[in-house]
Amino acid sequence: MKKNEPNYVQTGIGIILGFFMAFPIFWLVLSSFKPTSELFSYPLTLFPKDFTAEHYVNVLNNGFITYIGNSLFLAIVGTTITLIISSMCGYALAIYKGNIKFTNLVFGVFLLGTLIPGETLIIPQFSVISALGLYNNIWGVILPVVTTTTGIFMFRQFYLSVPMSFVEAARIDGASEFYIFTKIMLPLAKSTLITLTIFSFMWRWNDFMLPLLVLADQDRFTIQIAIRTYIGATGIDWSSILAASVISIIPITALFIVLQKYIVGSQVATGEKG
Amino acid sequence: MQSKTWKLSIKAKEKNDAMNHNTIHKNLKRSFWMFIAPCATLFTIFFLVPLALNFFFSLTNYDGWKTMEFIGLQNYVNILSDPQFYAALRRTMTYAVLNLPFRIAIPLLFAMLLTSPKIKYRTIIRTLIYLPVLLSSLVVGITINWMFSQTHGLINFIIEALGGTGLEWGANPILAMIVVSIASNWAAAGFFMIIYIGAINNISEDIYEAASVDGVNGFQRFFKITFPLLAPTTFLVILLSTVNLLREFALVQGITQGGPGTSTTFIVQYIFNTGFTQHRYGYASAAATIVMFIFAFIAFVQFKISNGGDN
Repeated sequence: MKKNEPNYVQTGIGIILGFFMAFPIFWLVLSSFKPTSELFSYPLTLFPKDFTAEHYVNVLNNGFITYIGNSLFLAIVGTTITLIISSMCGYALAIYKGNIKFTNLVFGVFLLGTLIPGETLIIPQFSVISALGLYNNIWGVILPVVTTTTGIFMFRQFYLSVPMSFVEAARIDGASEFYIFTKIMLPLAKSTLITLTIFSFMWRWNDFMLPLLVLADQDRFTIQIAIRTYIGATGIDWSSILAASVISIIPITALFIVLQKYIVGSQVATGEKG
Repeated sequence: MQSKTWKLSIKAKEKNDAMNHNTIHKNLKRSFWMFIAPCATLFTIFFLVPLALNFFFSLTNYDGWKTMEFIGLQNYVNILSDPQFYAALRRTMTYAVLNLPFRIAIPLLFAMLLTSPKIKYRTIIRTLIYLPVLLSSLVVGITINWMFSQTHGLINFIIEALGGTGLEWGANPILAMIVVSIASNWAAAGFFMIIYIGAINNISEDIYEAASVDGVNGFQRFFKITFPLLAPTTFLVILLSTVNLLREFALVQGITQGGPGTSTTFIVQYIFNTGFTQHRYGYASAAATIVMFIFAFIAFVQFKISNGGDN
């Protein structure tokens, strides 16, 4: 196995690149523990000279517990709905393809959702949300975004690869269509479910434009919108925004660490030596 | 006589089968719609209805409140002579075109390095490169903004420590655009790297072995084998990146908020400001309609040129 002897130059370049790419985040975290006076005085030091958590205390006392709660609600409820409805939809678009003629037409309509970015529809979307009485309501930022073409697409592609004989055998045994889906077909899609969980949680946790418009009362803000309030017309409240930003990264990083092998390490499973 | 009854019974059986088939088909159709219903309903309410409303608003002088009069194509006429609209559109296009090569080159280089069989600690390195992908666009903006801050940022500190003068990152339009570009490429590199890693791992080892027998060198290996074989992936990266670059919004909020002046105000922010800050829903909807067609046209052309990624 001479071929796989470690190459120290490549490994060295790789480590430097990795460190370089992650460094802005390290710098953000380290800065957030510096007292305000240290943040704004040269010379800068990598580590805080006078370690303090005061910014975190300030931010948390400033309503961030509520904002975290609101963001968690948005992310968890939104992701749950997305998983349920897009698995159903993607499943139907794949499984009934042979029986029902217009499945591809329906799929094509959903694909419009990727062709036209949601941002360009923000004005009429906001009018619809207001008309439904969802203004200043967390459901007003959940319901418009839970249908994701990406999610539907992922499940459709997965179920196209599952042999139809699974479904046909169950039909002959007299199983109902709903039973076939929930008891037989859905458990097969475990890895798709996990991948979409990570992505959806991330999307919802990081949602910005819609919450910025729809959520009016401070106690309904999500964490992203609360962070935005530290950016004023005259400048940025750096000591607070650094700590707030770090807090906003924690849940998503934790979820990523738990489930990371499904993203970064997904090649390990397909035969590549890690 | 016998053959006649035989025929009849076959006919009856066929009829029976057809009926059965019909009820089964009906049943399947009903199930199909039940599975589709939640997505279809939400998609109709929050996407198709707004899509129709957008066209409708664009023909009115709706202010989001009380006034709503039909004014025909007046908004479109006004927009087509609005220098602000052109400026925002041109800026967005320039930004997308200038950043696109980096969106391909950086992730591809990372992926090439990290799929080398001789590199160690690859999972840790991949994870480090992927970390920025987890951040919201707003926080990406804030993180990079903090490093490039004019008076107390790390970059200016390093420049000054090396004997230079700190740059006015926030006050100079070109420098501001560079900071926004750095932030956006920083945040996207890890995501596209993972896509490229998957594609590179799918290339058969046999091809490389055959090439090494023929005495192909490293450069040829990359430009004649790897890169052409990755064409469908590169197409995907171009398509996704273009859309993401054209719709940039939250990232800019964390850095320049569109400034200095309007030098980093992209088209989505232009629509947002026109609609919600100036309360010109009709006008903004017309702008959105034009932008929508431009975006769709770009995606369509890219799709045609690459033949849908099939080579």
